[in-house]
Amino acid sequence: MRFITSILLSSLILIPAASAQLIPEEISVETLPTPGENWFISKTGNGGYIFDANTGEMQGLLSLSRNTPAVTSWAPREEFYATESYLSRGVYGDRTDIVAIYDFENLSPVAEIEIPNHMARLAVRNHLGLTGNGRHLAILNMNPGHSVSIVDVVDRVFVYEISTPGCAVIMPTADNDFMQVCGDGTLQLIQLDISGFETNRVRSPQFFNVIEDAVFDRTARSDDGWFLITHGGTIYEISTDDDEINISDAWDIVSEEDEGWRPGGGEFISAHRDTGLIYVAMHEGEVDTHHVAGTEVWVLNSNTGRRIQRIKMENPANSLMVTQEANPKLIVGTEEGGTEIYDALSFKHERSIATPGAALFEDF
Amino acid sequence: MNIEQIVDKTYYWVDEKARAGSLSLARKLSRRNFLSRLGMILAGAAAFPLLPVARSFAQNSITEVGDPQSCEYWRYCAMSGTLCSCCGGSYTSCPPGSEPSPITWVGTCRNPVDGRDYLMSYNDCCGKAVCSRCGCHNTEGDKPVYFNSNSNTVLWCFGTENTSYHCTVSLVLGAADE
Repeated sequence: MRFITSILLSSLILIPAASAQLIPEEISVETLPTPGENWFISKTGNGGYIFDANTGEMQGLLSLSRNTPAVTSWAPREEFYATESYLSRGVYGDRTDIVAIYDFENLSPVAEIEIPNHMARLAVRNHLGLTGNGRHLAILNMNPGHSVSIVDVVDRVFVYEISTPGCAVIMPTADNDFMQVCGDGTLQLIQLDISGFETNRVRSPQFFNVIEDAVFDRTARSDDGWFLITHGGTIYEISTDDDEINISDAWDIVSEEDEGWRPGGGEFISAHRDTGLIYVAMHEGEVDTHHVAGTEVWVLNSNTGRRIQRIKMENPANSLMVTQEANPKLIVGTEEGGTEIYDALSFKHERSIATPGAALFEDF
Repeated sequence: MNIEQIVDKTYYWVDEKARAGSLSLARKLSRRNFLSRLGMILAGAAAFPLLPVARSFAQNSITEVGDPQSCEYWRYCAMSGTLCSCCGGSYTSCPPGSEPSPITWVGTCRNPVDGRDYLMSYNDCCGKAVCSRCGCHNTEGDKPVYFNSNSNTVLWCFGTENTSYHCTVSLVLGAADE
């Protein structure tokens, strides 16, 4: 009897609650919060996936053209910049190349600037570079000769196209200049005026031989300039002092006992600027295996020229990037299309992130 | 004067000059004179050594073994892309409806049958969606993008009506030791 009474009392309590009107949920749209520590962009053929490396959570997507080489950002204006190339009928028709500008808040296009239809349509991080003052975007062209388009991203105008025969790669330096690597084994420095027009062009002496041991067209920004690495594993640090190009003494990352190891992959080199640590994907292979993914990532101290760690990869590393925080993360894109997160100082694997295969990563 | 008027006037000037030039030539030269000169040019061309490109095709006697749909095939030593031989074409022909790019990257591959090195031209076929069959990425002699004549990562659909990449063929231009 007591049991039946309990059931009846419970029913009296529950019935009104169950029959109460459920408030319909309403759809809403998120906005992107201020980018936090160790956020990064995973640039894929489908666009730029924004992740927090600390949590592994996706924050939003930048929709980009399939032919976008890279994307960059400028935090003070809270804008992303990407070069995009479209054909009017998808795979045929009129071609239109643009610089697209996206805002941080909604990851939406807020402006676009038409540029000459000469953009090099390859996923390479340094085919795009924002000058140190955040004003001019330099875009590498191939038609098939090399040139560079300059866009003023503040006034939203195409400035002009600079002819740069035999030279590629965009490495911004100082406030309004950029360096390039040239096929004759030299570097080229191009200095712009306040409007984005070339005011000066300087060529370094020859310091490498493209046939014997070419410098890669993948480079890493250092504290004071850029790190270059050759197919054989020789590193140079380059920088500028006004119109002078400085090239450091070369040092080799492969010692005699490691003979046969080579750098390679896609975007396989990155550096943490405050500590001077360089991360390079390495593999064992013959000459001309420079696109083979790395079975290890070597961590090198540029201050001492010594290797401090070998990180073995479960799946070979095709591209990598280290974030610039005090507690940096090493982001590794594997040959199989996975994204792996490591603590960049303890070298411990922290998490895997499921993404479409990343061609390269970009820091905030 | 607006742009259209300037263009019209320019065309008119070119037409007028061409017409005047033709009339002048016709007055000075007989038809027999023209035919005799044409004959001399043709006879001279036959006697003149052919250019290397033409000579390599005239040779037409390379003995090859292997599977042209395999990335291991000897012609593909510096190939990067999708093999046209898997996409309705062959190693020398583009699939239907695609357009060959006249501008290429080059490499040198050794034919295992005769042991000779051959200069290879890798032409992209363009204007259709990427075929995505038989992907092949070999890097023998490959150089970075700043040395683009030997760079196989570049999309070489230049000088074509449509610039989308479909697949790649590999042509023998000549023996490297000639």
